[in-house]
Parts: sequence; C-alpha cells; structure tokens
Amino acid sequence: MTRGKFSLLFLLACLTVLPAVAFASEAGHGHEGINLGEVLPLYSAIPFAGMLLSIALMPLFLPKFWHHHFGKVSAFWAVLVAIPMVIAYTGTALYEFVHVIVADYVPFIILLWALFTVSGGILLRGSLRGTPVVNTVMLIIGTALASWMGTTGAAMLMIRPFLRANNYRKNRSFMVVFFIFLVANIGGALTPLGDPPLFLGFLHGVPFTWTFNLLPEMLVVAAIVLCIYFVLDTYMYKKEGITAPVDEGVKEPFGLDGALNFLFLAGIIGAVLMSGLVDWGSINMFGIHRSVADLARDGILIVMGALSLVTTSRKVREDNDFTWAPILEVAYLFAGIFVSMVPCLLILKAGTKGALAFLIEAVKEPAHYFWAAGILSSFLDNAPTYLTFFSTALGSYYPGMPEAQAVPKLIAENAIYLKAISCGAVFMGANTYIGNAPNFMVRSIAEEAGTPMPSFFGYMVKYSIPVLCTTFVVITYIFFI
Amino acid sequence: MKKVLFATKFRELAFDALESLLDLKAAGLKEVILTYIIPREEVAFVPYGGYMKDEEERLREQARIRFEDWQEALSKAGVDSKIRIEVGEPVPKLVRIAEKEKVNLIVAGRKKRTALEKVYVGSHTLDLLRRSTAIPVLISKYMVYCDMEGQCVRRVNEHPFQRPLFATDWSKPSQNALEFITTLKGAVDKVDVAHIIGVKISKSLDKSELNRIEKESKVRLDKYCATLKKAGIKAEPHLTAGRTASEIIRLSRGLNSTMIVLGTTGKDRVKEFFVGSVSHRIAEASELPTLLVP
Repeated sequence: MTRGKFSLLFLLACLTVLPAVAFASEAGHGHEGINLGEVLPLYSAIPFAGMLLSIALMPLFLPKFWHHHFGKVSAFWAVLVAIPMVIAYTGTALYEFVHVIVADYVPFIILLWALFTVSGGILLRGSLRGTPVVNTVMLIIGTALASWMGTTGAAMLMIRPFLRANNYRKNRSFMVVFFIFLVANIGGALTPLGDPPLFLGFLHGVPFTWTFNLLPEMLVVAAIVLCIYFVLDTYMYKKEGITAPVDEGVKEPFGLDGALNFLFLAGIIGAVLMSGLVDWGSINMFGIHRSVADLARDGILIVMGALSLVTTSRKVREDNDFTWAPILEVAYLFAGIFVSMVPCLLILKAGTKGALAFLIEAVKEPAHYFWAAGILSSFLDNAPTYLTFFSTALGSYYPGMPEAQAVPKLIAENAIYLKAISCGAVFMGANTYIGNAPNFMVRSIAEEAGTPMPSFFGYMVKYSIPVLCTTFVVITYIFFI
Repeated sequence: MKKVLFATKFRELAFDALESLLDLKAAGLKEVILTYIIPREEVAFVPYGGYMKDEEERLREQARIRFEDWQEALSKAGVDSKIRIEVGEPVPKLVRIAEKEKVNLIVAGRKKRTALEKVYVGSHTLDLLRRSTAIPVLISKYMVYCDMEGQCVRRVNEHPFQRPLFATDWSKPSQNALEFITTLKGAVDKVDVAHIIGVKISKSLDKSELNRIEKESKVRLDKYCATLKKAGIKAEPHLTAGRTASEIIRLSRGLNSTMIVLGTTGKDRVKEFFVGSVSHRIAEASELPTLLVP
C-alpha cells in the first residue's frame, strides 16, 4: 500500500470513528425511545454543512475535481454522518436514515426523474425572432408552465427555442439570466410539481392545493421581474440596432414534437394529486409505514416516465440534446444531502429543546422566515433549506408534536410562516447559480450554445441583487409584515 | 470509395489503425474526415457549476494538435483530410457528420477486451452499428489479443482489406455488401464468399429438401463470385453449415481472412434483445476487423 493510500484510509478512519466515539459518549446507554433531536450535538450538523458548502464552493474553485468526483464527495459526507450515528444510537438512528431514504429521497427522485423524462420528450421547433415582445411572451409561457411540468422541465423545454430565437442578438446574457429568474425559479411556486422544496412539503403533509395560495406573491414578483425585463430588452434591442436576423436562409416551421408527453404530464399531475386526496391505508416497508396511495403514485410516475421513453421517437430526444447526466447528478448529490441532513432536521424539530434553540428563538416573524429561508436557499440548494425551515417552524410552534398533526395545525393557525418559507425557498433559489438545480443546467446549455454568461459574482452583482433583491424587499412589505 | 470518416477517441494504436486504411487509396480513397466527439458529459452539466468552457477548449486543442500530426502523414500518402471536433452525444453526432459529409464508410475503433467481458466492441460502437442505417461501418481492430487453441495470441490486422471473408444470407443488406465490396477493387486481393446453412434450417428440413437448398446456395454463391470477378476482384465460394456466428468465425480463421464483411439489418435494441443479431455477435467476438453494410 502506498503512503498516500494509507494516509487517506487513516484519515477516513479517524473521520468516521472519532465522531462515533463522541456521539457514543454523549448518547450513553439505552437509547431506544429517546428523542434524537434533543440529544444530538450541534456538531452532528457539520457533515450537512460540509455537503452544502461542497455544492456551493467546489464548482467555483475546483470545477474539474468536482465534475468527476462529486458522487464520492456526496458519499463521503453521507457516510461521515451515518456511520457514527448508527454506531452511537443503533436502531433509533438507523430508523431515521431508512425513513429519510424510503419516505423522502426515493419519491423525490422518482418525481424529478418522471418530470425530466417526460419534458425531455417534448420538442418545440420553429424559427422565432427574438424581439422584446416575443421574448417576454416566451418567458410568460415558461413561467406558467413551470408549476405544472417542474422548473427543470419547463426550463429544458423552453431554453433551446429561446436561445435559437435570439441567436442574432448581440446581448443575450441578460436574457438567459431573466430566464433563470422566471422559468427556472419563480414560475415553480404554484404546485408541489413546480419546485422540489414544495414537493418535499407535500411529502410532509402540505396539501397539493395549498400552494395555490402563493399565487398573489408569485404574480407580483413575476410581474415586476417581467416588466424590468421588457424595459431592459427594449432598450438593448434599440441600442443593438439589428432589425432582422442576419441569416434568414433556413427557416424552420413552428411545431411541437412529442406532444403525447403532455398526456403523461397530465398523468403525473393526476398521480400526485391522487396521492394527496385518497387514503388507502399504509404498509410497512423496511420498518417504515408508507401510504399505499404514495406507493401507487410512485408506481404511476415510473410508468409515465417509461411510457414516455417507449413512445417518444429517439430523434425528438436527440434534437432536444436529451441526456441523463443532469438527473443522475441530482440523484447522487441528493442522496448525500438527504442522509447528511438527518441530524439537522431532528435537532430543528426538537424546537427549543434542541441544540439549534438559538436559531428557533432568533427566527420569529414571517419576514424572518422569508429572508432566512431565502438567503440560505440562494447559496445552498433550496430543497433541503425549505425542509430545514419547515422543521424550524414546526419546532417553534408545535415542539415534539408528530408531523402528521403539526402540519395541519401550522397551515390552519400560522399559514403565513409556511408561505414565507415557501416563497423564500422558491423565489430566492434564483439569486445565484447554485440556488436551484435548473439554474446550472440552463447556464450550461446557454454557454454550450455560445451565449457568454456572467460569472458567479457577476450574476449576483449585475442582476440578482439589483433586480431580485429589490423585488423581494417590495413583497416583504406587501405580504410578510 | 472516395471519402472515409475516421472516428477516434485517441486510444492506443489509433494512428496505426488510420494508417491501415491507406490501403484504400488503391480503391480510390481521396479524403479522410478525422473526427473526435467530446462527450457532452465531459464538459457540460457540472453539478451546480454549468459548463467548463476552458476544458472544452483544452480538449479541442489537444485533439487538433494530434489530428494535425496525423494529417501530415495522410498528406504524405497523397490523401486529403479534414478535421471535425465537436461536443455532443458521440453516436448521433458521428452519424450526423457522416451523413452531412456524404462519406462512403465510417471507421470506428475497438474497445480494449477485458478478461471479464470478452468482446471487442463497446456499447458506443454497437450503438453506431445500430444507428448507421445508410452508411457501412468498419470496426477496425488494429491489434487484438485473442484466444487461439487455448493460448492468448497477439494479432495485428495491418492490411484488413487484403482478403475479406464475405458471409451472405442472401438478404438485401448482403446484396448491398456485395456492391460495396466491388468499390474496394484495388485494395482487395481476393474475396472468400461464404454462406452458412444455419442449424435452425438444417434441423427442420428432410435430406432431399436440404440437398435442394445446398444446390441453390451453390448457384447463388457462384453468382456472387461472378459479380465480383466481373468487377475485377478474385473470389472463391464456400458453403458450410452450423451455428452461423461461430461457423463464420471458424471459417475466417481457416481461410486466413483479414476481415469479415456482413450485411446488417440494423435491429434496434429491443429486437436485438429478443431475436439477436448475428452480425453484431460476430463484430463483438471476432478478432478480425468487421465491416457491416446496412
């Protein structure tokens, strides 16, 4: 064995065993029936922080390493939290990990996979001319679609036609940035299908139709951002002085291929709706009670995705440049995120009895939730952030109460907090490239197509701070104070 | 035979494989399209990062420098060449470039055979065989290690076009393959034309019926040979019976063939899974370069 390999193994052993010993010493003996959230130390959240910081920093500073090894990084943080906890708290900890995988991760990935597969089978053809009006209409359509086919699905469907329509324009970067704002984020606020955080809320008991309540907030934000876009695009269009596309040679007629996939999309929406409406009892899976309706939903989603794969012509997917890479990346990364966030969520759910009592006590008002969930969603992925503040709200108002009872009470008595968390997580995912998964996919496609995109900080300084953050201040005053 | 697309991943001996194609000059080869597809996943969709433009540039430059070196060798041999470096899904991109450039032949490399997976063709090449429904594909296996009489032997396929074994099943693709071979005149010394009466046929027929098929096959083989001779290529018929794929491989070894030529119906993955594809099986298992004509 080389010295390098030995050092690596030694380091891994230390990283795994030391926390286990620390956990064990604090856990003592006989931990069956204990509330883990009340006994877990704050440092048990370090792997979760490490996981999220890896996502935030590694693509910036070590892009090549990250691109080839992100799966190992994700596994490292997951193992770092799972092994010590299982050694220290045995069955109780094991239950929590199996629960998060079976009840949260698997349905989450199945939904994303189904939406990704089905939307990847729809191809919008045609040579549109990207004028300010046409572009604004395309953004409105994308924003409206996002809640029904997911921000990822809508962004993948619309980005290539949007880029094609504007390939004759000199300044295209700002258009793609506004596309990220609206289609890849803000538009997804209306249903649990729209944005992953809302689906996690749905899995934890928030009704499907409850998210319709976010319509006023979404309309205000979308209207402001669209107005700014229209003014900016009109200014740029006039400044560029290009009145017609340079090459009018080959004009592709407007058309929609793979339209059958809209039927499968309807199947996905129906399946998710159904799982929230019916009660067919539950069954035990690996010691976890799962509702039969949820299992039926997951089964239908898989069937919809499979039908899309079988019935959509290969040419449509190829012309869409469809690839499994983004969804595989999300699957690998979120496996690590879901496992490593277990201690953090348990501590937050314990409310003031947990090690994060200071956070629970500091975040009190709806505006606090909106901005705290939002700012963290800007730099960390918004799905785990949503769940973190969702748990914080439950811990604040209903500490120790089972989730099945606490969530309906939160909605009935303190819905504004859930609205603030949902809006913060969904809207502010647009603040940076790393806030939401479709942001990086859109950026990647735009850059591949030759559209220069602003840097990480350029995106924030030139666009998200002046456009989005000011808009969020406005909606804070309108809705959350 | 004027234009060939040479697809490479710059694996070891890729240049030697390219040089072995220069025999086609005698058959009229004028231009080689040197093609490298940077797989999209190599540079795009960095999780939460976007696109690695610098990495794409680096890979492009690396490929360009290598290709320019190869171009010199081709130029010295009197063959023109063009470089195509693109980012995307390798197989569809290759097929699209081949169609756009109107090439007569696509040449793809072999994969490194492992002890666990004893095949010479990787999933990308198999996919290329399925997808190229209009242009013939040659899997050039320049140097391979194969099992011969229980021993691991190194084989160098330096002149693949010298003595091809052309196995026909009388199908339309086989006819196309025959026509394609006639375009190789000058590069080919002699063609062995073979037909295998498959186990399924011989099992289900009585002796008299089998004799009738045998006679008919001999006549057809002679016709094939006559077509080749008319085109100025020496040809010899061979009729045999047994399991088609293993019989073709056995025959190729016995005849010291330098390449196997087959027609292929281009079955998709589903059909191939249920029905199987003899041509793909031979491409995977034979140590010889395999030319599949759709």
